[in-house]
Amino acid sequence: MFVRKSLFVLTLISLAVLTVFGVSAQDTPVTLRYTLWIGADSPQVALFNELAAAYTAEHPNVTVTFESIPFGDYQSVVTLQLAGNDPPDAGWIVEGAARSWVESGVLSDLAPALQGDADYNFDDFSASTLGLWTEGDAVYGVPFSTSPFIVLYNQDLFVEAGVPTPEELIASGEWTWENLAASAKAIADATDSYGLQSNDAALYTGNFWATLIPIMRGFGGDAWSSDNACQFNTPESVAGLQFIHDMIFVDESMVPPGAEVDFFAGAAGMTIGQLSRVNRLATAEFAWSIAPLPEGDGGYQSVVGQAAMVVFNNSQNREAAIDFVRFLTTEENVARIAQFFPPARESVLTSEALLQANPLVPAALMQTAVIDAIQQGRVLPSSAQFPRIELLVRPALDELWVAGADVQAVTDSICEQISPLLAR
Amino acid sequence: MQSSAVVRRQMSLARKDELIGYLFVAPQMIGFLLFVLGPIVAVFLFSTQERNLLSGVVNPVAFANFDTMLQSDRLFPKVLGNSLAFTLGLVPLNLLLSLTLAVLLTRKLRGTLFFRTLFFAPVITSTVAWAIVWRFLLQGEQGINQLLDGVGIDGPNWLREPGWAMASVIVTRVLKTAGLNMIIFMSAIQNIPREYDEAASVDGANARQVFFRITLPQLAPTILVALVLTIIGSLQVFDHILLMTNGGPANSTAVLIYYIWFQAFRVFDIGYASALAVVLFLIVLTATAVQWLLRQRFIYNER
Repeated sequence: MFVRKSLFVLTLISLAVLTVFGVSAQDTPVTLRYTLWIGADSPQVALFNELAAAYTAEHPNVTVTFESIPFGDYQSVVTLQLAGNDPPDAGWIVEGAARSWVESGVLSDLAPALQGDADYNFDDFSASTLGLWTEGDAVYGVPFSTSPFIVLYNQDLFVEAGVPTPEELIASGEWTWENLAASAKAIADATDSYGLQSNDAALYTGNFWATLIPIMRGFGGDAWSSDNACQFNTPESVAGLQFIHDMIFVDESMVPPGAEVDFFAGAAGMTIGQLSRVNRLATAEFAWSIAPLPEGDGGYQSVVGQAAMVVFNNSQNREAAIDFVRFLTTEENVARIAQFFPPARESVLTSEALLQANPLVPAALMQTAVIDAIQQGRVLPSSAQFPRIELLVRPALDELWVAGADVQAVTDSICEQISPLLAR
Repeated sequence: MQSSAVVRRQMSLARKDELIGYLFVAPQMIGFLLFVLGPIVAVFLFSTQERNLLSGVVNPVAFANFDTMLQSDRLFPKVLGNSLAFTLGLVPLNLLLSLTLAVLLTRKLRGTLFFRTLFFAPVITSTVAWAIVWRFLLQGEQGINQLLDGVGIDGPNWLREPGWAMASVIVTRVLKTAGLNMIIFMSAIQNIPREYDEAASVDGANARQVFFRITLPQLAPTILVALVLTIIGSLQVFDHILLMTNGGPANSTAVLIYYIWFQAFRVFDIGYASALAVVLFLIVLTATAVQWLLRQRFIYNER
């Protein structure tokens, strides 16, 4: 009995000693869980693992594990983890959902840590690149990828159809949406392939924004304005949508609904994509290249997709997570990440090194299709009501994807449906 | 003295047995309470709340979610109609096909084993693979339409035209799941004593009469079970639809369970999604209860 009692007392004393003299915060081992949507075996994640190892070398008590969640499920999985009180410490967020995340209050303000670090050079991020991720003085995300939409094309098919390639059209100052459509028709008529495939072949069932917005903006329209007025049914937007509709149903040069076709397997002359898609062409059996988006009635409108790194408020290791995000987005590390993800940092964007960053893309194209495009680019639309808007727009667009659809009527109906949401 | 001790020992033995019994069912019961009953109760509670998964905001709103559903949600009636159409299309087709196959494949014919395997194979195929392969077969210009083109038929754009999309989803689902009911019916048919058939034949009944007067009534209890399970199953088909049509075109294949998922994990409105789930629960409950009551009218050994 006595032995047991004294053991108990001893335990109490040692616990008290530990509490008082405590293991200092510096030494407490911390494991950060960082969520992203790129496959765990990709070169991108390999690079992030290298950067994490470098961080651990500086901060031996911190280790980082990267958790890959497929893009389609990313939002819901992270949200469920937050709701289940098992939040990741840090991770990525994509532009469309940015406002709903920022306004939900679950993200940590990174401004004090970033602005407090003199070496970090926070002003290197322009206000416009940070726009989606700030509220007042608070900064809830650091954009690490500001990726312009580009046209990827199959040179062999252009040659087979006997039409000038986008490169030649750019040289002669004729790289317009109208000429893109003409080339697409020539390819569809002369070869077994389609002329144009939507971004990730997702126009009819997935992310339609990535195809529609570049074209609608090219014609001078947009989905909604910066002050949340619906613009789907303006004459410019309607012209853009009519253009796509004609390519599908009149020219029959764009991959129609219900066809399973893959540009990356050589089944289409062109597709709209981003720099990260170029890696899929590394083993392509045809000659290919990239071009910036063509000009339309609205002039040259560069469109960028954006993703940012964030820290979640109820992370157990918030301070460490914030510091890790600061580390990943220093000038030096942004320059390394830039080979895959076009940077938002002005200094990296204007650096010579960026021109050589991706071995698959020649420096001249890196300049025109990526760097210039970022500097002139506007981010895809975002809204705090994004999922609800998508819920209404997707089925409404289905009425557009039939021959002879009335584009004006369809877009009027879209605006009527989403205006109340935009106004919230 | 002695007898009361015996009684006490017996009682304690009985209690011991009881305790052991409880211990045996405990794992199952705890699992049920924690992972089945708990969530069901939670869904009912959530359905009376405004509950946002993303921001974590929770407000009690009583029946506001049901109000929205019945009065201002334009999609709800459509989704309900789609669920009804899906079930009405899938269940009869499934039972008819599986019963026909079961009757044919219990005959002593050559090659039945091959065909049994053939029709059961889709059941054990993953839904993802099944849906994606069919998506390729049901393209606008390729796949099945290429074959139809060869015989001069201009096939529709199966998955992109509202009516055809629903029909395509139903038929591919039936082909995927009919094998399971087929096996259930086959074992039921094999359990019918052969003497019944023989006696009927001796009395001069022809094959059709034997089937409708002997086999079918004997199968009725099995058919009822298959019917209940198939209806419940049809209301829970989600992955198949998500992969084949993603609810489109123009929401024509968005069924109730798809809409629940969308509200919960795309819009993050858990409160509204829970209210929808309560409706689904009540529909399944009612459908099952009705069938259970009807069994007394239609099944020989329940009368």
